[in-house]
Amino acid sequence: MAQITTVLSKFYNEYKTRTPKRLKAIDAYLFYILLTGITQFIYCLLVGTFPFNSFLSGFISSVSCFVLAVCLRLQVNPENKTQFNGISPERGFADFIFAHIVLHLVVMNFIG
Amino acid sequence: MKFSTFCVLVLCIIYALLQTVHASIGGYISPTDRNKFIQILKKSIKVEGDDIISPYYGIKAFKLLNIPFDTKDPICENIKKNFKYQSIESSFYTYSAYNLLACHGKIHTPEAIKAIQSVIESGKASISDIRYGLEILTTLKEQIPNPSKIAQALQAKLKEDDSLQNLGHALHAASLLGDSGKFALDRVEDIVVQADEVDGKLLQWEGGLTTTSLIITGLLRLPGATPLKSSQADKFANYLLTRKTVQTPKGVLALLEAAASLSLSTVSPVSISIIGPPQISAEKSELKIQVCSIFGVPHRVPPTPIELESVTKLADNSVVLSKQALKQGGSSTEFVLPLKLDPGLYKVIINAGPQSSDFVIRALGSLTVKSLEIGLSDSDGGAALKLTKLVYRNKLDKPLQADASQNLIIKFSLSRPVHQAFLRLHAAKREIIFVAEQDSSKLYLVEVNLEKELSENGNFEMELILGDALITNPVRWNLGNIEINLGSHLTKESPKALRGPKPDIEHLFRPAEKRPPEAVSLFFTGITAAPFLILLILWAKIGVNFGNFTALSLPFHVGFGAILSLFTLFWLKLDMFVTCAWLVPIGGFTFFSGHKLLSHLARSRKQEKADK
Repeated sequence: MAQITTVLSKFYNEYKTRTPKRLKAIDAYLFYILLTGITQFIYCLLVGTFPFNSFLSGFISSVSCFVLAVCLRLQVNPENKTQFNGISPERGFADFIFAHIVLHLVVMNFIG
Repeated sequence: MKFSTFCVLVLCIIYALLQTVHASIGGYISPTDRNKFIQILKKSIKVEGDDIISPYYGIKAFKLLNIPFDTKDPICENIKKNFKYQSIESSFYTYSAYNLLACHGKIHTPEAIKAIQSVIESGKASISDIRYGLEILTTLKEQIPNPSKIAQALQAKLKEDDSLQNLGHALHAASLLGDSGKFALDRVEDIVVQADEVDGKLLQWEGGLTTTSLIITGLLRLPGATPLKSSQADKFANYLLTRKTVQTPKGVLALLEAAASLSLSTVSPVSISIIGPPQISAEKSELKIQVCSIFGVPHRVPPTPIELESVTKLADNSVVLSKQALKQGGSSTEFVLPLKLDPGLYKVIINAGPQSSDFVIRALGSLTVKSLEIGLSDSDGGAALKLTKLVYRNKLDKPLQADASQNLIIKFSLSRPVHQAFLRLHAAKREIIFVAEQDSSKLYLVEVNLEKELSENGNFEMELILGDALITNPVRWNLGNIEINLGSHLTKESPKALRGPKPDIEHLFRPAEKRPPEAVSLFFTGITAAPFLILLILWAKIGVNFGNFTALSLPFHVGFGAILSLFTLFWLKLDMFVTCAWLVPIGGFTFFSGHKLLSHLARSRKQEKADK
């Protein structure tokens, strides 16, 4: 038990010190999206899925936002620079914004 | 009803089967057939025109049917005028017709006779020419030269070609040659064997009616021959009877000649048939039976004894009568069978010598209505019945008054059960028919629930209808009137519109499911929004720097905010087209400003790197 706490605290400290601020901001965003998705899912379990299309669009938009944010995080991470050589963080952010606009157009259309 | 239909069907099948088993033939050339033939034959006997062959068919057939000619002189004149020697065959027709009519004078010349004699003697003429030549000489009572030589010529020709046609003509020729014609007797068996049997019922020679007729007449003409057995003669007779529909004078003559020669032979087929409809009743208790030859004439040697074999009731297969001699009727072919039978269907088997035949006959009886009661009862069965007795053919004195709570009841008993017993209510153009059912005590009962069965008030006439295949007096009895008042609750059905537009079909959306209470929804909306707060807190903790927020980044943020608010509007009220129309300029602006901002950021970042 103690070992786990030490591992966790070490991991936390490492994260705190070694991760760039930018990535921390994205991680916070990811956490927020995750919580939103979970809340919706709990709602669906407790109350029901009606109206189904609204539930679906909300939940799927959460999942998609999460995926898009993960993509952004991968591209922005300096450690992955070798893989995304031609893509600057700004370019990644622009893609992220564009994908969001298209996604939400569809989500809004579907939400009813 | 159904059962009786079934019975009749079964009887028909049994009847058909028995027909084939027994030897009697299925009919004869009846007076109706004769009249039809006469109509056809009359067309061939022309008074004008140069066709002097076809009159022979009519004249010969009329002779066979024993019909005298009223106007023979114009026919004789016409033949005389148009005759000229063409061939032996055509001369045969003309000479024969002339001779049959017994016209005055001669149309043949000694030279012509000489020519014919030399042709048939020469050994070069065909078999049919030899036959017709011999016929001419016989008809004109001229001498036949050298019969043995002609017989040899015939035999030689038959060796070359013994087709059925040739054989037929050879038989006829041989029968005219006296002793020299005896050679043909050897061929008789061979010829009979060549006949084709159809379904075990018919016998015929290939080549149809004309060939069959030619050979039958030839065989039966040949002296000293007994070519056909009785069973064969019956089958040939059956074949001839199937050809009664023949339409040409030539065909009619062929049919009549064959029928006549069969009828005159020693194996003359016996036809047993019923004269008139096959039914008896109290008024007409005799069954008239005709026993005759295929030609419709009495046999030369009448078959004896003619007797009733049996009468069997079909309902229970019990034999009612058996072995009874038939009395001679008005003519020599007519026999009378007096029968007194209970109504029903019977099978009658008649024997004529060795032949027998069976028929299904109907014995009819009269029907009497023994009693009839009519009245109204309460449909709940509470009140006692008040029934009025009616005597047959009488009507009710005054109409029955009925309302919705009542049933109309009619009970009646009959002298015998019937297949059809109906009560018919009718008023103006409307009628309703009810079926009377027989109960266990043989009493017929009709019970009509007026409220259920009738839809309208009115004054109906009541009629009792009784019918059966076995009764002589079907009944239609007007019982009187009934006034039916079903009360005011009766809703008159509006007549359905047969044409015109159909009612609109309104689309039904699926009803919305029950939503959760508003409080719950709002609570969860709050919970769902809550993580945004966490996001802000986290960002604050991490210390996201808003330091880069400059005037340059403002247009981009404004544009992006505009897009999001446009989406919100799209959700709330706009449609896709309006949204897209707005999205293009706002998106373009945002793209432009975003590009500017990001490239500025990138540039400053590179500069930072370079500075380092």
